[in-house]
Amino acid sequence: MHIIKVRNLKKFYNTSEIQTIALNKLSFEVLEGEFVTIMGPSGCGKSTLLNILGLLDDCDNGSYLFNGIEVTNSKELERAEIRKHNIGFVFQNFNLITQLTVFENVELPLIYLGTKKTERKKKVEAVLEKMQIMHRAYHYPQQLSGGQQQRVAVARAVVNKPKLILADEPTGNLDSKNGNEVMELLTALNDQGTTIIMVTHSEHDAKFSHRIIRMSDGQKIIENNLV
Amino acid sequence: MVQNYFKIAWRNLLEQKGYSLLNIGGLATGMAIVILIGLWMYDELSYDMYFKNYDHIAQVMHHNNSNGQKNTVQDTPPVLAEAIRNSYGSDFKYVLQASFTEDFLLEFDNKKIRATGKYFEPEVTEMLSLQMIKGTRKGLMNPYSILLSESTAVMYFGNTDPIGKTMRFDNRWNIEVTGVYKDLPKNTSFSDLKVILPWQLFYQNHGWIQTTDNLWGGYFTLTYAQIADGANMGMVSERIKKVIYDNVNEGAKNSKPEVFLHPMKNWHLRSEFENGINTGGRIQYISLFGVIGFFILLLACINFMNLSTAQSEKRAMEVGVRKALGSIRKQLIEQFLTESIVIAMLALVVSLVIAQLCLPFFNEIADKELRILWLNPLFWGLLIVFAVLTGVLAGFYPAFFLSAFKTVEVLKGTLSIGSNAFVPRKILVVVQFTISIILIIGTLIVYSQIRFGKDRSVGYSRDGLITINATSEIQKHFESIRNELKSSGTIVEITQSSSPTTDVWLMSRGLDWRGKDPNLVVALPINGVTYEYGKTVNWELIQGRDFSRDFATDSTNAAIINETAAKFMGLTNPIGEVIRWGGQQKQYTIIGVIKDMIVESPFEPIRPVVFKIDKSANVVILKLAINQNIRSTLTQVEQIFRKYNPNYPFEYRFVDQDYALKFGSEERVGKLASGFSGMAIIISCLGLFGLASFVAQRRTKEIGIRKVLGASVPRLWGLLSKEFVSLVILSCLIAIPLAWYFMNDWLQNYTYRTTISFWIFASTILGVFLITVASTSYQAIKAARANPIKSLRTE
Repeated sequence: MHIIKVRNLKKFYNTSEIQTIALNKLSFEVLEGEFVTIMGPSGCGKSTLLNILGLLDDCDNGSYLFNGIEVTNSKELERAEIRKHNIGFVFQNFNLITQLTVFENVELPLIYLGTKKTERKKKVEAVLEKMQIMHRAYHYPQQLSGGQQQRVAVARAVVNKPKLILADEPTGNLDSKNGNEVMELLTALNDQGTTIIMVTHSEHDAKFSHRIIRMSDGQKIIENNLV
Repeated sequence: MVQNYFKIAWRNLLEQKGYSLLNIGGLATGMAIVILIGLWMYDELSYDMYFKNYDHIAQVMHHNNSNGQKNTVQDTPPVLAEAIRNSYGSDFKYVLQASFTEDFLLEFDNKKIRATGKYFEPEVTEMLSLQMIKGTRKGLMNPYSILLSESTAVMYFGNTDPIGKTMRFDNRWNIEVTGVYKDLPKNTSFSDLKVILPWQLFYQNHGWIQTTDNLWGGYFTLTYAQIADGANMGMVSERIKKVIYDNVNEGAKNSKPEVFLHPMKNWHLRSEFENGINTGGRIQYISLFGVIGFFILLLACINFMNLSTAQSEKRAMEVGVRKALGSIRKQLIEQFLTESIVIAMLALVVSLVIAQLCLPFFNEIADKELRILWLNPLFWGLLIVFAVLTGVLAGFYPAFFLSAFKTVEVLKGTLSIGSNAFVPRKILVVVQFTISIILIIGTLIVYSQIRFGKDRSVGYSRDGLITINATSEIQKHFESIRNELKSSGTIVEITQSSSPTTDVWLMSRGLDWRGKDPNLVVALPINGVTYEYGKTVNWELIQGRDFSRDFATDSTNAAIINETAAKFMGLTNPIGEVIRWGGQQKQYTIIGVIKDMIVESPFEPIRPVVFKIDKSANVVILKLAINQNIRSTLTQVEQIFRKYNPNYPFEYRFVDQDYALKFGSEERVGKLASGFSGMAIIISCLGLFGLASFVAQRRTKEIGIRKVLGASVPRLWGLLSKEFVSLVILSCLIAIPLAWYFMNDWLQNYTYRTTISFWIFASTILGVFLITVASTSYQAIKAARANPIKSLRTE
């Protein structure tokens, strides 16, 4: 079954005089359980696409079915609802909240889901164990190395067992050793059934995925199946 | 979830200590002022509520027509209460006659001290539901008795039981202490009722009353009443309307006296009447200070809004992440509101400390005995509601502003808080400074009006003038006292007068003169004086001559009038004209006209006054020889007075001090207003300081580039300060017309008023400009002096 199905997706950015086309009639699908990499030069629309897929941004035209449901015209409340139940985000710059500890950062999606405190504790501890960062649970993000921070970010993304993880250059700020560790984490999650869509510049990282969609000027130019 | 909000709020506070300090400090200052104003308003609004019968008590007052207008007075004939009781008894529980408040000379065991109080009919104890500590409420039934307030009892008797003890009153009467009551609180109209004497003693002590034929003709007492349970104040008031009119003689009926009940709830706050209509009074100050309190709180909240939104870039990432994780905007608004409520709660704690520390000064200025109601649960409840509302007021704008950030822009790092985002913040700064400038200008104009009143020529010389209450002994030995004082060289002159130079104690009706409109009912201040009055007060004769012993007729048939009286009587050549009083019985030839003397309010028109020779004076006025040491002069004067008036303590008042009291109300307003505007400007500057630091931070890179390109420190300082200075100038442009409008309106309350000077505006603008530059310069110079390489590298 397709978890994502986009048709003729269009997105413009308007500045005072110029209209820039970020996505130009883009169409593709992602199956449940797939690991897809999106690649392309800077400004080709990768991140825009990821944001639209994550329901953080709207498209101007086209159709987007998430899990079989049309979401292009859905309201903010519905989007937030879909996001918190189904989608996890991993960012290049980790985006951990500095005022919260590792534990509290990971706990946050569960709070928004309304999970009870005891259950939250169990789930957070389990995922931190899994990410091998439990020993840092009560530290603040700024006390952690980049690799550790990204592990926390991944933990936060998966703690509510989302169907889909969107990763925007997850290794971009990491050295190769830490980068590999993160990629292995993502692969492991994918092996357990989580769909992953990753944006990256790194051919090395892309090799961890099943399929690469290459983009240029807001359009898909080629698709490579790696499996 | 809420726990999470609190956690974030608390950690943010700790993380940004300087910002938290500014925010909490500013908010706490504003809240402290609101607490003080709130306590003051509560005190004012609950005035007299101490009395159980508050809703049923009234003062019996009356309107009358004289000098072509309707006047409202509290003075009543001494027989009014009895007449009302007789004719309208069923409408009332009590109608009681009382005297004006006096200083009674009381002696016990060689302790001779004055205590303020009134003569009152016995049921006053019931009407005012006095809490008797000793004795009973029936104490005043005995005509030679006295009730003492607790503090007065301690003053005379210490810890011994005063009941049954005999005190000497006015060196004439032995009276028995029959009761001690709990002192009445300061926020009651009877707070100065330290002793109560029986009404019968009033008659005894003022023998002349008993020989007066027409007691309906003399207005020298007060009348209080408590209406019957279930009676309607308005209806009862209407019923007794004609009680004076029906009893006075035909001549007095011309003034159409109209009795009415002035309810206790209006005594303090609505005491002013114009043309027979109640026009308010202190209630206007309640609204004024309420508005000022609100605006100061608003200033503090604006600080909070500005500082919170200014650091929005720091919070943006958090907003983006939370939204990405599924938070909806409502939850973010809740979170930011929780933060501001937490800050407001902390500010509340600090504000209570500030309020407690400021309370003694505030009480002194406001002449109050306010205290923080630490043990009152209602007070705490209100404080918490207040803090929550403040939190919401301060937090709603930042909450909406911050929660509106677009997730994508934040997470992409492309969030640019465009110049439009600064517009609301600039508006807030302009609002802040507009309010502060209005307060400053207002304060300056209040003081300018006080100065205007003080500088107005009083028409006599107050230098070295003192007033002493006259006694029968002083009257009897006046000539000897005068001779001794004069020969001692301690005084320039001494005189007796029926009123002090700073008040009118005697009014007279039924005056007549040639050319007077027969329908005009007049009531003029009459001042009975001795020959030396003019020399003592150094009045200025503009026509005719002064009183003189050389003219035998001066002692009985001469009058001196003031300029206003000459105008009022329509006399172009007043000298030689005759004023008749009491039909044709008494005739006074005008021998002189003096320049107007300010006796009452320095801001109101002067009333026509007639001076005549009369030795039955109420006060003695002395002009001290001021070229000598004032202390030793007074000691010598005292010795002479003690010799002739041994039974009374030597008590004097400087006319200067009495005169200064006339400005009390304006000075109080001036002091409070200056305090408030000072606070307002401090709060605004705190905000400006904080904002300047954020602007400097935001422009670090720009400053670095400019420096690399050759900009000098002063130039950069100018660049950074310019933004704020222009906002403050804009505030001045808005504030000046508003302040002019409000203050011009306020000045209309005074017949004699200052003109609003250009310099008030100019000096305010200059002052505010300097303060602005001072509060922004530290940050601007710091930013401008920073090493550009560092700032560029951090980018």
